[in-house]
Amino acid sequence: MHIHQRFCVTLSVAWGLLAACSDSEGGVPEEVFSHQGRGVYVLNEGNYNSGNSTLSYYDPEQKTIENGVFQRANDRKLGDTGQSMTLLDSTLFIAVENSGIVWGIDPRTSRVKGSLTTGQTEHMINPRYIHIVNATKAYITDLYAPYITIFNPTTFTYTGSIPTGQAVTYGYSSTEQMVGWKNRVFTNCWSYSNKILVIDTQRDEVTDSILLDSWQPKGMQIDARGKLWVITDGGYNTEHEGFGDNIPHLYRIDAETLVIEQDQALDADEAGVALAISNDRQTLYLINNDIYRMDVTESHLPVRPFIEAPIGNDGKRHKLYGLNVDPTNGDLYVADAVDYNQAGTMYRYKADGTLIDKFRVGINPNGCAFIP
Amino acid sequence: MTNRHTALTLAALLCMGMTAQNVTSLKKVDVTARRRLKDTGVQQTVLDSTALRDNISLSMADILTKHTTLFVKSYGRATESTAEFRGTSPSHTQVTWNGMRINSPMLGTVDFSTLPAFFIDKAQLLHGASSILMAGGGLGGGIALETQPGQTEGHEAQLVQGIGQYRTFDEFARLTLSGNKWQSNTRLSYSTSQNDFSYINPDKKVDVRDENGTIIGSYHPKERNKSGYFTDIHAMQEAYYNDRRGNRVSVASWYSHLLRGLPFLSVDYKDDSDFSNECGQHTLRTVADWQHTASWWSTRLRAGHSWQRIAYDYTTTRQQAQTDITHSRSIAQQAFVEGEGMMMPHPRWQLDAQMQVGYCHVRSNDYSPFHQGKNYNRGRMEYTLGAQARWRPVGRMGLALALRQEVYGPDWVPTIPALFADYLLVEPWQLVCKASIARNYRYPTMDDLYFEPGGNSNLKPEKGFTYDGGIEWKRQWQTFTFGGQFTAFDSHITDWILWTPNVKGFWQPSNVKRVHNYGVEAMLHGQLSLPKTWKVGATANYAYTPSINKGKPTDDNDQSYGRQLCYVPRHSANLSVTVDWKDWTLGTGWMFYSRRHTTTSNEVDYITGSLEPYHRVDLSLEKRWSWKRAKASVKGQVNNLLDNHYMTVLSRPMAGRNYAIYLSITPQWK
Repeated sequence: MHIHQRFCVTLSVAWGLLAACSDSEGGVPEEVFSHQGRGVYVLNEGNYNSGNSTLSYYDPEQKTIENGVFQRANDRKLGDTGQSMTLLDSTLFIAVENSGIVWGIDPRTSRVKGSLTTGQTEHMINPRYIHIVNATKAYITDLYAPYITIFNPTTFTYTGSIPTGQAVTYGYSSTEQMVGWKNRVFTNCWSYSNKILVIDTQRDEVTDSILLDSWQPKGMQIDARGKLWVITDGGYNTEHEGFGDNIPHLYRIDAETLVIEQDQALDADEAGVALAISNDRQTLYLINNDIYRMDVTESHLPVRPFIEAPIGNDGKRHKLYGLNVDPTNGDLYVADAVDYNQAGTMYRYKADGTLIDKFRVGINPNGCAFIP
Repeated sequence: MTNRHTALTLAALLCMGMTAQNVTSLKKVDVTARRRLKDTGVQQTVLDSTALRDNISLSMADILTKHTTLFVKSYGRATESTAEFRGTSPSHTQVTWNGMRINSPMLGTVDFSTLPAFFIDKAQLLHGASSILMAGGGLGGGIALETQPGQTEGHEAQLVQGIGQYRTFDEFARLTLSGNKWQSNTRLSYSTSQNDFSYINPDKKVDVRDENGTIIGSYHPKERNKSGYFTDIHAMQEAYYNDRRGNRVSVASWYSHLLRGLPFLSVDYKDDSDFSNECGQHTLRTVADWQHTASWWSTRLRAGHSWQRIAYDYTTTRQQAQTDITHSRSIAQQAFVEGEGMMMPHPRWQLDAQMQVGYCHVRSNDYSPFHQGKNYNRGRMEYTLGAQARWRPVGRMGLALALRQEVYGPDWVPTIPALFADYLLVEPWQLVCKASIARNYRYPTMDDLYFEPGGNSNLKPEKGFTYDGGIEWKRQWQTFTFGGQFTAFDSHITDWILWTPNVKGFWQPSNVKRVHNYGVEAMLHGQLSLPKTWKVGATANYAYTPSINKGKPTDDNDQSYGRQLCYVPRHSANLSVTVDWKDWTLGTGWMFYSRRHTTTSNEVDYITGSLEPYHRVDLSLEKRWSWKRAKASVKGQVNNLLDNHYMTVLSRPMAGRNYAIYLSITPQWK
């Protein structure tokens, strides 16, 4: 064999080997899930700009966890920075902020039923939270757009927008969580703001607002007596300009009169704050480093925490990242993001504070959706 | 006087690592080039014009990927590309251009995609401890980039035009005017591309529905790379003067303007006609250099200034209304003056000393509605003192000690020491064993300290302790040259600065990590000249780089202890082969990276927890012509020949197989 023939043979073999190693274009086969009985979906935000948000499914009876169910069921990724979940009958809506999409999935199969993307709307940019007004109307808040998007949750069709009247020049114009009270929906403006907006759900208009002294209202709940509870993270201090004082506050506001009735400064918080309420709307839970529980009739947060955050090897408390209450039995689900760059841990406590289970989910677990 | 000259000549020869009796052998001359006293114990890779002039479209990021063991984290052409030595972070790679440090004072990194390889004449990679000879803080290593006067006599011009897929156009012009003692070198380049390559998106799926809305099928859509466009302009002017009496003066000034879209993620459902996400940069760097070389001493004075303005805008225009999501502006300036002296008081000794005074200033603004104005507006003085002593106790052995003292503003970084040694084991093979050990410190960047919100003024410098050892050799026969390097290294970094997300919506740095990097680097190269004007050359690199988190777990849930750092491949390799026949050159390059984890806990069962290993093959064919007054060539290039679908970063698809053609004309005249 001549040298050039050998060369050609070698080249051909090498080519064949390399071609055999080529990546395939296809994804993974879609798995068929059939979740029975009660279940808990856990939304894992992932890391911003990484596209690694995932969805986990937990069976509270069997204490088993399935991670990555959205991708496994649908052969596509959930997206970048999953923000929140909202359940309406047989559809679980998932707002995936930086992907600009709201998914609707069947909670029993985890299969996609429909979606709403920025391109199907006039103003949506980064969807944050979804509030179901009725079977044909739902609101979507936004981190950047000075609009609240209205869509039909049954048909996944865009139906309109509500201008928030917030500043539109540069940067954020955020609206966040929403809670309903009679014909009103309250939404908190979190990023670089200190406002609560009031929306009339019949006129689809912002009709009023509440200005807080503390910056960055982070979470809201409404109790059985029509009192709106708002927790702020206090913003942060900078050397040049202030966006708060880093001191979180807990407010109680009358949903009817919009009068601030109670204002309590909380401990300076390194972990973030969160607010949850029991199914009967009589008991408030909040994260302020540790987990606190208070009756909605009380005027102050208890001195002692209900559940102390676990202490790490460095002597510091774990940074608790999410707080959810199972409406069926009052179980508490508390998320620990660990180092924000690995699978987080979800703690499950009984309503009396006893630890029932602990399981690993995805990166930066945040919200839970409880499937009855 | 004669005796003194003889002694000095001998000293110079010894300094270059050869003995007097070896001078008569041509083969030994190579030894001198390799064993300069200055290179005692130094672990380095030198990229010359052969690698740097492959084609006009290549940036230094491409060159480092193709020809070295560094891991380059890239989102694609003209997107941010950073380089990591030995499993460290991009900010642990110190980079200089003509002696001026060009790491961003804000981030500490260098975006190698903004440095076209045609504007660099020599790249010297200093691995591990060896980087201390260049700059402090290179916990992984350092890269010294240089422009140099051309070797041509008379005047020469070069015009290169490249046309590639995705409406990619590259233009390059170089004009060299030379006199007996001077040279002027002007380089211009203009590159533009839509860079909107198509790919099958595995991260999305389109559902096909029937009339009732029931899903009856689905498929992964074919999408294009959104917002990947760029326009890149460079202009460089160099002037060199050599009085032939030991004085050399040069000035180099480099202006660049880059406007690039920031590509959308593969999981982004927004429409790029509604959204604009782009970054614009203007950069001007100037360095002036004077060197005087005498028979047994030399001195050098350098001064430089760099100015960079970065604008980042993320906006959306919907319903005729514009919303600015991000609107940031920053200006970073650096200036330095450096004096350097070298002397050889004895034939076996070389002493070097440097003193540098620098100043850097950053003005960073973010125009959010409630954040009008400053992230920060800070400047700081920086001082560096360096000294090296090199000693060759016997002809085969070299020892060196380097000390470096850096001062940032009021803070004295602990003294950085390094020891180097080498020994010529087998002379015919020029087989040299080398070793080095060093302690190193990297001072926090301006963003680390001052960025608001998040900056942490209490940060401590990162500490590194590294040692390595290895061999290198080169043997030349009549028609065959064979050489290589093999190095094993071990490195410990503590107080690693890491930015982690804060629950209030911003990121904060802290000294949290303790990392153990170790592994091997290997390089082989050979060249065979065959009869009938054939020539075959090949270079292969391989690196094994475990980079293990040894930081104390924060709590029982922390699974990151003992795991590989994110985005650091354990194995990387590349191979370049060129086959020359008469005026034809066939070139091929292959590169491989093993799996990269995207979580600190390295969970492989986690769906997005790692990126698949990938390899890529490029192929080129060039035909050259040469006339009395000009040379010309045509080169065809196929990138990603096997059309592999791969990502170097999560949700960032890379281009599949694509083609380009390059035309080059080089007129010459006296």
